[in-house]
Amino acid sequence: MLLQQLVNGLMLGSAYALIAIGYTLVFGVLKLVHLAHGEVFMVGAFVGLQIVLWFGVGAGVALLGALVGTALLGMVIELVAFRPLRARGAHFLAPMISTIGVGIVLQEVATKVFGAEQVGFPHRMEAVTFHLGPVTVTSVQLLILGTSVVLMAALHVFVTRTALGMAMRATAESLLTARLLGIKTNGIILLTFAIASGLGGAAGVLIGLSFNAISPFMGIDIGVKGLAIMLVGGLGNIYGAMAGGLILGIIEILSVAYLASSYRDAFAFALMILILLFRPQGLFGSAYHVEG
Amino acid sequence: MRRATAIVLAAALLVTAATAAAEVRIGVLMPLSGKGAAYGIHQEVAMKMALEELEKSHIKGETVKLIAYDSRGDNTEAINLTRKLIHTDRVLAIIGPFFSAECEVAFPIAVQGKTPIITASSAKPGVAAKSRPWAFRNALTSDKLNGPLVDKWLAGNKGQIKTVVILTDVKDAFTKADGTLVFPAVLKAKGITVLDNISFQTGDIDFSAQVTKVKGLNPDGIVVAGLYNEGGNVVREIRKQGLPQPIAGALGMSEPRFVEIAGPAAEGVLVVNPFWPDNPAPRIKKWVDEYKRRANAPPSNTAALMYDSLHIMKGCIEQAGVTNKPDDLGKDRERIRECWAGLKDSPGITGTISINADGDAVLEPTVLVIRNGRYESLR
Repeated sequence: MLLQQLVNGLMLGSAYALIAIGYTLVFGVLKLVHLAHGEVFMVGAFVGLQIVLWFGVGAGVALLGALVGTALLGMVIELVAFRPLRARGAHFLAPMISTIGVGIVLQEVATKVFGAEQVGFPHRMEAVTFHLGPVTVTSVQLLILGTSVVLMAALHVFVTRTALGMAMRATAESLLTARLLGIKTNGIILLTFAIASGLGGAAGVLIGLSFNAISPFMGIDIGVKGLAIMLVGGLGNIYGAMAGGLILGIIEILSVAYLASSYRDAFAFALMILILLFRPQGLFGSAYHVEG
Repeated sequence: MRRATAIVLAAALLVTAATAAAEVRIGVLMPLSGKGAAYGIHQEVAMKMALEELEKSHIKGETVKLIAYDSRGDNTEAINLTRKLIHTDRVLAIIGPFFSAECEVAFPIAVQGKTPIITASSAKPGVAAKSRPWAFRNALTSDKLNGPLVDKWLAGNKGQIKTVVILTDVKDAFTKADGTLVFPAVLKAKGITVLDNISFQTGDIDFSAQVTKVKGLNPDGIVVAGLYNEGGNVVREIRKQGLPQPIAGALGMSEPRFVEIAGPAAEGVLVVNPFWPDNPAPRIKKWVDEYKRRANAPPSNTAALMYDSLHIMKGCIEQAGVTNKPDDLGKDRERIRECWAGLKDSPGITGTISINADGDAVLEPTVLVIRNGRYESLR
């Protein structure tokens, strides 16, 4: 049973990792804690669901649609809620408060449009179950794992091998210097928001598919977890976010399996504090920039 | 001229005041958003059905005003709204709140405010008994529901069930009592061994670890003590991981949303509630049909109980000599309380309702099984 529990943890963890990457990207480039990221994730789940309901398409199209939809949403958020603040040289806490506001607005709008009830994808999209010896995995779990790995690999290639990725790293290193060197930093920031939000939206669809529990409030808990993972993994480090997500997922599952569900979050977060005590910079943390 | 206007205005005000006084005000608390919105939305449909009838028939010749608030299934909200209904809205009586946890905190407020309060749903044993004499419950407690449920479940599986694992939502007051006290006691009395009691929490979305644990224990049957959201997803996960065992669910899962969420996995699950939706009696069939027409869904037990509670309230206000004068509010509330306390064999949609010494309704449980995505009564 331990093997199955580890698989359960791996699946939960890879979904967490996708969210944490969004946080870490925005933080890496802007040194900004994007507190509305959980809500972007929630919007992604709803966009995917609506696409499925309207057009009767499969998970792949829903995933793509949500990715594009939330990427656009991310750009709107940056243009409306951050750029004006940056342009006016606001206090460094102001954008964070602004993200809280964006989060509340998104939550309320979703509640108005979709209702406060928990909903799920149609049952025809039910996962196919594979029994591999003692271990059971579903097609949705494999999709989560696969999508996470592909997206993370693509991100790695983008950040390390392309000119745009290099520009993003330069912007993360120093906004001012990057601009002096001729990088259009505003465009890079916009791109960062688009990528981070798109990943969050994709995670929303994957988690919605996997757990059948889409609601306007689904971003709250998972948002907090994403933040914690970002810290444990190392601020701004993509691999840290991935490792941190997997660690949190596995710890949570094991604490349910061998302790009790009441301790699920308490135990997981206590362990994260412990990790931070020994490695205050996080597992992979070294510097304040997006690392390839 | 100005004086004339003033007099007309004063007269108009007097008329308004007079009409306002001749209005029977009853408070209603339901969860219309948040964790149990589907329950509240069903109750609201039933409340509107009752209200339309009461508006036509009036209560003792006066117009009826239901002051309904959304408690969001939240304890703090339930306390605040109960206070508001008692002291600001000055209602004669309150119907609600929905959840046992809300009742546990709102009932004492009603006792302080000397106002009758009647929940049409809460099923945790002993909740009304703790707030005598003002609190009542027009609902059946789970200790009286789960016996018949387990009987039908065991009989339906021809004695194959010897060992059981219980999955309990420990965050909700009702399901916690149900899963950790009521079900274990009932199962023990029938000679069934409970191998383990595994917990989850309202709001959880991932139940894979719990279900894998059940798989390792390999029981003959599984009991799920959850509300419809989490209960639905637990049942779904059980089937997803390939566990074939028969499942029995708590009262909270006798809500159509449960079937929608669990989907095909819900097939064959047994639940129990105090309402018989397939009752062929003409009066009840007519009500159920009308309800289905409005809600586009079959009525849940708490919807029927809400409807019944409002009609019992009308009867009480008319029979107990309520004057509905502002000065008599205290006495009127006392009169309504006495009427509820002495309620006997009141004919409702849910059944023949009497209130016992604990303030709880005495009703007959109906076991429901899910077949082809619908609840069918096992009677």
